[in-house]
Amino acid sequence: MTRKITKEKLLHKGAEASLFYGHWFGKEVIFKHRIIKDYRIEQLDRTIRTIRTLNEARALIKVKEYRINTPQVYEIDTESSTIIMKYISGSKLKNLIKTLSISKKKDIFTKLGRIIAILHINGHIHGDITTSNIIITSSEDIFLIDFGLHDYSDSIEDKSVDIHLLKRVLISSHGDDFKLCFNAFLEGYESEFRDRGNNAYNDIIKNISIIETRGRYVKKENRL
Amino acid sequence: MKSNKIALGIESTAHTWGVGLVDFTGKVLSLVNDVYVPEKGGLHPALVREQHLNNFMRVINDALTQAKCSIKDINLIAFSQSPGLGPVLKIGALVARMLGQLLKIPIVGVNHCIAHIEIGRLLCNIDDPLSLYVSGGNTIVSAYESGRYQIFGETLDIPIGNLLDSFAREAEISHPGGPKIENLAKKSNRYLTLPYVVKGMDLSFSGLFTAAKRLLESEKYEKEYNLCDIAFSLQETAFAMLTEVTERAIAHTEKTEVLLTGGVAANKRLQEMINSISDEHNAKFEVVPLKYAGDNGAMIAWTGILRYKSKGEFNLAETIINPKERMDNISIPWRSKVIN
Repeated sequence: MTRKITKEKLLHKGAEASLFYGHWFGKEVIFKHRIIKDYRIEQLDRTIRTIRTLNEARALIKVKEYRINTPQVYEIDTESSTIIMKYISGSKLKNLIKTLSISKKKDIFTKLGRIIAILHINGHIHGDITTSNIIITSSEDIFLIDFGLHDYSDSIEDKSVDIHLLKRVLISSHGDDFKLCFNAFLEGYESEFRDRGNNAYNDIIKNISIIETRGRYVKKENRL
Repeated sequence: MKSNKIALGIESTAHTWGVGLVDFTGKVLSLVNDVYVPEKGGLHPALVREQHLNNFMRVINDALTQAKCSIKDINLIAFSQSPGLGPVLKIGALVARMLGQLLKIPIVGVNHCIAHIEIGRLLCNIDDPLSLYVSGGNTIVSAYESGRYQIFGETLDIPIGNLLDSFAREAEISHPGGPKIENLAKKSNRYLTLPYVVKGMDLSFSGLFTAAKRLLESEKYEKEYNLCDIAFSLQETAFAMLTEVTERAIAHTEKTEVLLTGGVAANKRLQEMINSISDEHNAKFEVVPLKYAGDNGAMIAWTGILRYKSKGEFNLAETIINPKERMDNISIPWRSKVIN
């Protein structure tokens, strides 16, 4: 008898989870295993791992409704806090960004803006939009991964925070490309809202700067 | 006559008026603090200022005596220029300008948060750490990248030390609350669910404070659970949040050294947790020695020396205080070239 499910190699050891490559009934898959964190007490650790595993799996499936590319979920095991999902072959945007031409960067971030807008319009907050959580396939499709911090919300505040996090990552990790990429992102984000006759983006974008001014040690003249 | 040049550093951002003497090779010659302790409530800037005004000369003299120096041996004055309580920062700047002009020696202003990291780099013998800076006024995860100390994560509302102090006040625990909460927590292992709020690499502690306060106010308090249980749960939740974002930042930046600094760095449970994730990522873990982890003048003196060696002195106009300056606004010339 052949084993139908095989974990073959460790692809990535993240802060929260280990990603293994393997096969599941003949399909190429990723095992996303949320690791036990010895630093926190068991009760808290178990709660966090279980909630995030379930949250993530639900969100990965749910957002497909809006034709957003996410890995197909095959199986969930809350006991070991593992999600078995389709293996997406491609590169993380984080690693790709430096190699892209200006027009490609613009194109990808505009598309990303539209994708996040679709999430937001439908009441989904990704919760961790970083360039590590975006995969670009060879056919240039954009896949969103890591929905562990996903939340449902219709509040402007939550949507602005979602974008604010991306902005922070772009500044700290891709400083040279920040302006270009973020402006393209906003352009795509706004266009998606406008195409649907939704004006909420004005308030969401405005609120990003309010969040910034609320941060610690903001100069008085920049405060609202 | 001393062989090496000496800097006198003045820390005056909040409750501590600290004076430290450090020579240009990085040897700390003396460190003296005068700390304002409120009778009740938090820090009232005007009262802190008054205390510092009454004590600054005595502390400077004590620091000189301890280092066996005369004021004439000082070659550089460094002072905490940002961030902090405006009225308190002003006293530091005022005394620094006065000394600089009287002694006709250069003065430089220093960012308090950067000083916390620099003294850690000096004393812990590490070069390029991911830093978790936790105190009553700040909660910042940062690392050096592209010429600055970039902030990867920070609190979106109150700092961790403020959470602990405020909770201590609600529970009628006397100041300083942190060590007492730590001791109470040791007596419990009963976890009461509290809100755990991590947004990307940022943190929020205000909801946690409210929830912990409600546990104190509930009629179940001291019937179904006690203060030790709340202290335990509060620490476990808040520190797990800090550890999670620190770990994310280590994974993201791929730094191989981790530095824990600020007043809350004294907490053994937090040290244990950060140590654990440093090990997991094969990073060297260091805690800044307690005396230097809290606010002090030596860290200001040393950072002033670094700044002076790389970029020279400040002119008078540049010595204006900046209570809201973010550390990621400041370029770090001394790390872009080798300094001897």
